[in-house]
Amino acid sequence: MSALLEVSDLCKSFGGVTAVAGVSFEVREREILGIIGPNGSGKSTLFNCVLGQLRPSAGEVRLEGKTTTGMRPCDLNRLGVSRTFQMLQVFPQLSVRDNLILAGQEHRGSMVTRLFGRSDAGLAEDAERMIEFFRLSHLAGQQAAELSYGQQKLLDVAMGFMAGPRLVLLDEPAGGVNPTMLGELRERLEAYHAERGATFVVIEHQMEFVMALCTRVLVLAEGRLIAEGTPAEIRRNQIVIDAYLGSATPPA
Amino acid sequence: MTRPGAVALAIACAAAVAAPFLLKSFGIYLLSLWAVLAVAAIGLNLTLGYAGQISLAQGAFVGIGAYCVALLVPAGVPYPVAFVSAGLLCFAIGWLLGYPALRVQHHYLAFITLAFTTLVFLVLRNEEWLTNGIYGINAIARPTLLGWSTGRPLQFYFFCLGALAVIALAIRWMLRSPWGRAFVALRENPIRALSLGVDTRRYTLIAFALGASLGGLSGALYAPLVQFIEPSSFGLGLSFNLLLMVIVGGSGFFFGPFVGALIAVLLPEWLRIAEGYYLMAYAAGVMALMAFCPSGVLGLIDRASKAIAARRGFGAPTLGIERPQP
Amino acid sequence: MASFIQLLVSGLATGAIYALIAVGFTLLWQASQTINFAQGEFVMLPAFFVLAAMNMGAPFWLAALIGIALSVAILGLLFKLIIVDPILRQGVLPLVISTIALSLFLKESAKDFYSSQAQPFPTLVPAIDVHIFGAVVSTQSLAVLAVAIVTVVALHLLLAKTRLGRSMQATAQNPALAVILGIPVRRMVLLTFLLNAVLVAIASILVSPIYLAKFSNGETLGLAAFLAAIIGGFNQVRGAILGGVILGVLDNLSAAYLSSQYRGAFPLLILIVVILIRPQGLLGRLEERTV
Repeated sequence: MSALLEVSDLCKSFGGVTAVAGVSFEVREREILGIIGPNGSGKSTLFNCVLGQLRPSAGEVRLEGKTTTGMRPCDLNRLGVSRTFQMLQVFPQLSVRDNLILAGQEHRGSMVTRLFGRSDAGLAEDAERMIEFFRLSHLAGQQAAELSYGQQKLLDVAMGFMAGPRLVLLDEPAGGVNPTMLGELRERLEAYHAERGATFVVIEHQMEFVMALCTRVLVLAEGRLIAEGTPAEIRRNQIVIDAYLGSATPPA
Repeated sequence: MTRPGAVALAIACAAAVAAPFLLKSFGIYLLSLWAVLAVAAIGLNLTLGYAGQISLAQGAFVGIGAYCVALLVPAGVPYPVAFVSAGLLCFAIGWLLGYPALRVQHHYLAFITLAFTTLVFLVLRNEEWLTNGIYGINAIARPTLLGWSTGRPLQFYFFCLGALAVIALAIRWMLRSPWGRAFVALRENPIRALSLGVDTRRYTLIAFALGASLGGLSGALYAPLVQFIEPSSFGLGLSFNLLLMVIVGGSGFFFGPFVGALIAVLLPEWLRIAEGYYLMAYAAGVMALMAFCPSGVLGLIDRASKAIAARRGFGAPTLGIERPQP
Repeated sequence: MASFIQLLVSGLATGAIYALIAVGFTLLWQASQTINFAQGEFVMLPAFFVLAAMNMGAPFWLAALIGIALSVAILGLLFKLIIVDPILRQGVLPLVISTIALSLFLKESAKDFYSSQAQPFPTLVPAIDVHIFGAVVSTQSLAVLAVAIVTVVALHLLLAKTRLGRSMQATAQNPALAVILGIPVRRMVLLTFLLNAVLVAIASILVSPIYLAKFSNGETLGLAAFLAAIIGGFNQVRGAILGGVILGVLDNLSAAYLSSQYRGAFPLLILIVVILIRPQGLLGRLEERTV
């Protein structure tokens, strides 16, 4: 399995504070990679650097060999990289369907066809398929603001998938979601992964979620990579346990 | 659009058509001024209300459009051509101005447009060989279109109203296209929009350039309306006025510019009781509005209608087009 | 050469005034996200306070103090409590719009309540010409320069050397952290507004003898403030000072050596160039894109 994404010696400092201090790793095709670590370990900053939201202070990001460091998020998105955000980010006053159509529209045609042409063609069907896949059919016409938090999360993930990305970075997708919905979310992610063969990178705090979903896990602490391995290996890793100060094992 | 909204719109359209027959020529002039400035305000609303950028250049674009027409028509160019040229010229200038300006931080566009407006004023004032400088250009003729003269106040008003309607419909059509959806995304959550592949920089630039071109078209209507133009009408004062129009009406609401322009044009007349202090009252009113309801008059109405509907137990209706809390 | 020195001195004097205005503007922006489009009018107004006090019989020095005090009360305290606090809650854009409305309000107030005519304003020192290196320099320019330099130095000492000043800077740079460090953030922000009011009042007293006190002064002065702040570096006080001085000198030099018609254009072109090539200004720091 080849490397889809390579991160080399990524560093990011804000004034005197170093959030990410030389992190290197690769993401292999078709894997589900988890990134965990205590609060403040630099996970979100790492994501934002990879995704072009922030400019890294040093280091490189390569997507399939092509350097993408500092590329704008919209350009990265069009190269097949999608993301979800920690803080919920759907468009509250658009309907569920319109949210999905919006998420897909920039990947077809050009600016001109978007104004004059029928670039919406095909989008409506894709949106319907996505709505069905995430089991939101009964909510399709409703304003996104009226959905429950968990449902909005599903919509958020669905929006990330609309463009059929090869690589999806999920920033704490399980945050604030109740256990039933969580199971549903995990199941849908696995189904999508199986169906489309996409590659996922997931930042999460909820250990159970990560351990159940991911094939490989990286552990970050204080801006550095301190461990790497399968979920089982990570669970047993003393360095990791120490980093979490004993809270590595999920509560019963 | 909701039922009350549609009714209000129908009444407003009827009033726009019928009112001039009940007014004397000064009243008709005011209505024409409303229509002309509304065009510029619609443009600025695109830039401010949809793309979220503060532009202080709209007054300058109106000026460029006005001088464009005032210079081309006497030189033999047919008015419709001059009209379109004003729009295209301002689109191009807007694009050239915005392209580099939007690559930098958000608030800098405000200052670049501030500088631009002042520069345009200086050019208009100094290049006397072209613009006649501070002496201005007078005796600007009202066009005759397809055999119909617009010389008289009533005729010219309907010409302006017609232009406003066509432009408004064109913008409405654009906002219903995928572009409109992108603008909503741009305004609501630019970061999320970026991550979904929406090229926010490109869309902002388009909004700015389109807004500029509407300013130019407004100027092309303004010149034959007032029939005498000079540089100081198109400076920062006009830019500020237009900005306040968009805000007071309701930035980001489709009908905001119409309401804002009406208020701004009629205000001096209404506040004649306050004599010279009407500008102070207007300014104080704007500040109060910003403290309580920054989404303007239409925002107030929107909020009120939602509150009423909530009390009645219905789902929340909206006034028509998108524009809620910042 | 002699005339060059003259221009340089008067340019530095004008520049010093611009620097004061620009520094106040930058402080407000740093401390509380307030882009004060009424800054020019803030400089225009205190002169009228002074004139009004003098009309009531006060000698110039007393009137000047009264002017500064009124400025602090109205343009500092009232501005913050009545306008900035309620409106900033709604966002930065409504506040920007409000300062635009405020500039209109203040302009009309001066015009309606005092006069629409330009008013002569007393100079700090009697205008005598002094000869330096063969150049004729007015004592007025020197006095302005002196006062401005003293003010700027005092400001620098306040901000860099006193605990109060350092607290103010900390608040401006990182309010959240300042709170954790026990700094009374709200008081610091208020002090910044009061400080701005003092600076604009001093600038007003310095500039009005030259420009005369007129309700429309705000436009040019405000523009100068924005230009200076941006050219120097929006988020740095030192930058605002540098920007102001550069602007003042360029302004005077270009008036003498370039076409006077386009005199105003030169700083505007520099602004556009600076924003495009080096948006953080000469001394500023590049702001991050945020998540």
